[in-house]
Amino acid sequence: MLFPTATFAIFFLIVLPLSWALMPHGRAWRPFIIAASFVFYSAWDWRFCFLLAFSIVWSQAFAHAIHRRRVRQQRKALLAVALAGELGLLGYFKYYDFFVASTDNLFSLVGADLPLATRSVILPVGISFFTFMAIAYLVDIYRGDFAPVSFSRFAAYLSFFPHLVAGPIVRPGELIPQFQRPRDPRYVDTSRAFFLIATGLFMKVVVANELATGIVDEVFGAPNQHSSLEVLVGIYAYAVQIYADFFGYTNIAIGIALLLGFTFPQNFDAPYTALSITDFWRRWHMTLSRWLRDYLYIPLGGNRQGSLATYRNLMLTMLIGGLWHGAGWTFVVWGGIHGTALVVERWWRGRPGFVEHPWTPGRRAWHRFWTFQVVCFAWIFFRADSFADAWAVITQLFTAWGEPSPLVTAGVLAAIGVGLGSQYLPRRLPLAIMASFSRLPVPAQAVVLALALLVTSTMGPEGVAPFIYFRF
Amino acid sequence: MAVSLAALGIALFLNAPGIHKSATTQPPGWKRDVALALTGPLESVSHAVLLDRPRRTLKSALGRSDDDVVDTVVAAPAGAAPGSQPIGNEPPVPPKRERFTPRRPLRLWIAGDSLVIVPGESLLRAAAENRALAPDRNVEGRLSTGLERPDVYNWFTRVRKEMRTEKPKAVVVMFGGNDDHGYMTGVPPGESISSFGSRAWRREYRRRVATIMDTVTRAGAYIVWLGLPIVKSADRTRRYDTINAIVQSEAAKRPKRAAYLDTYFFFAGKEGGYAQYVEDGSGKLVKMRADDGVHFERPAGDLIATKVLEKLEERFDLTSWERSATSSAAP
Repeated sequence: MLFPTATFAIFFLIVLPLSWALMPHGRAWRPFIIAASFVFYSAWDWRFCFLLAFSIVWSQAFAHAIHRRRVRQQRKALLAVALAGELGLLGYFKYYDFFVASTDNLFSLVGADLPLATRSVILPVGISFFTFMAIAYLVDIYRGDFAPVSFSRFAAYLSFFPHLVAGPIVRPGELIPQFQRPRDPRYVDTSRAFFLIATGLFMKVVVANELATGIVDEVFGAPNQHSSLEVLVGIYAYAVQIYADFFGYTNIAIGIALLLGFTFPQNFDAPYTALSITDFWRRWHMTLSRWLRDYLYIPLGGNRQGSLATYRNLMLTMLIGGLWHGAGWTFVVWGGIHGTALVVERWWRGRPGFVEHPWTPGRRAWHRFWTFQVVCFAWIFFRADSFADAWAVITQLFTAWGEPSPLVTAGVLAAIGVGLGSQYLPRRLPLAIMASFSRLPVPAQAVVLALALLVTSTMGPEGVAPFIYFRF
Repeated sequence: MAVSLAALGIALFLNAPGIHKSATTQPPGWKRDVALALTGPLESVSHAVLLDRPRRTLKSALGRSDDDVVDTVVAAPAGAAPGSQPIGNEPPVPPKRERFTPRRPLRLWIAGDSLVIVPGESLLRAAAENRALAPDRNVEGRLSTGLERPDVYNWFTRVRKEMRTEKPKAVVVMFGGNDDHGYMTGVPPGESISSFGSRAWRREYRRRVATIMDTVTRAGAYIVWLGLPIVKSADRTRRYDTINAIVQSEAAKRPKRAAYLDTYFFFAGKEGGYAQYVEDGSGKLVKMRADDGVHFERPAGDLIATKVLEKLEERFDLTSWERSATSSAAP
């Protein structure tokens, strides 16, 4: 059930009033929202619901077991088993065939046969996201940062449909406390919710789809059929497409949660204005970045064990982060490029005699430009189906200048302009728009929103392509 | 809540033509029936009070006035027999292995449902290695479309237009991935389709396959039709077998003008069943099929593209120019 569809609109129009009607009665609201979330999830494949249910029951059982133990070793052992269960599930459904094929090909180099066969496992949508949220819950309880909550509260936390299939990855401490007390509809920031949903729909349905169908799919599908200019614009277009797609989805998710009375953390902060790769990861998929930092990088030792260990930890975190995005070596390379850039930046800033120069406008522009180029270079591997495909894109970038470029249209350039330009808008502009909107009378608000839906629906292509991050 | 409901209410009227088309193109069932019952009157009211004007004006300004039109006509090419037999004013059989060169390249068009996209892209990349091939650089792969539901997307109209305007000499198509159910639109008056695979269904689907083939071949072009592959679902694979059998027999009726490329066994595992990972020519285990158990991954596309090029090579001379160029360049 995709957000920008009539099916979801009908689903939400039923869930929204019922949710508010049941909100004062927590014992009734929680089963209701869990049931609604499972209905939402079952729209992809009802069998996936068993996985989600397993993850809930497994995590909750171990959360209580860990919390009850006082001996550290016992707690650690229980956590290890709990994580093995969660990661085992993720590993089987997401990486089993990839692991078998990679190992088989490695064995075949020495003429040996692997006694394992691939199983054509179908990847359940959203499994990476809810697994990470379940791990956060278990680790927070192990660390003593959080106490186990009731089964229904945890089930509502893990299955809550606005974040279920593609995040944001909400920490237990951010959402579960909101389930403790009924939300008050008088304090719901509906202007912000509508603004987020409207901008999210526009970014996804108009900007991302225009770029995908206008240039990206064609350039990455057959790069050697396109001019260098088309390939260059296609790479930039993909950078904007994936931002518009994921930023759009996240905005809609946050807006929907807000209408239901719940606040999610923000996931993007103008990532293509970043001054460095380090800065980029503070702005791109922020909920994943901080998850990787808190549950992977810091447990690995973080920056507490000297420079070399820090570099190793950074690289490992990014490589694993890359693999999280997909079972393919191109994703690992994507993570490796970012990891290398982070290591180089850290080394550069940590060398003796390093002096931070003041940020002049020219220096800012220079750093932004080069950061964007590195990010776009890494996106080539993220988007390409194989190393050969990535190499074909890179080769074509340098070997076909001067050829006709019919794909570089005004529409494509405008969509890139909107996607990049929107990140350079003053931060007060959205606030001013929301404030103006909230001052309008209700009928006028309704007309403004209806016109926004009209523009998005009319400019968007027929049908809606799935969100890119659903496959992760 | 009031704003949400009011906004959605107004938006429903403003977008009524598009919403009604979306309802029309839904899969058959009670949801579609309810949606049609609601959106039909909605569109009428919207039109009567002129609330559909902004959408129509905007669509027109974007050059997409046809977006909200539902076209279910299964138009056979002029002079074609109404049935599946390619009888009548058949065009002359083109000379065997007509020669193409970089100066006079073979115009190629690739189209179909979403299954054609990956092999189509592979074919485009392979075609870049031979300057005697001039493909349309856009693989026209349209998601969720097929020959059963011209209301969703009318391929009969689209193919006819392509043949008339761009005049490709070779056409590679793949249809049927979404056609494994019993509901058809554009059925001739008096005909009714009971269920998938029934006699009436086969007759009507055969007519549609023949219509696409005739539209291409009567324009003087050669058509390569990619058969549907084995898929993860055994039931679906069986239904695809039915579709493949029809396509294969129709291609056989048009020798030298149409070819059927059987993709079924390219992607079967060691035991003959579906496999996501299959050994390639070098014995390396590669991921051939997407995670959904239906679509192709790039290596599968490359394999199909190689076979399509072989089919084109059988029919056209695409390489002798290379030998001529080499010999004339020799000292």
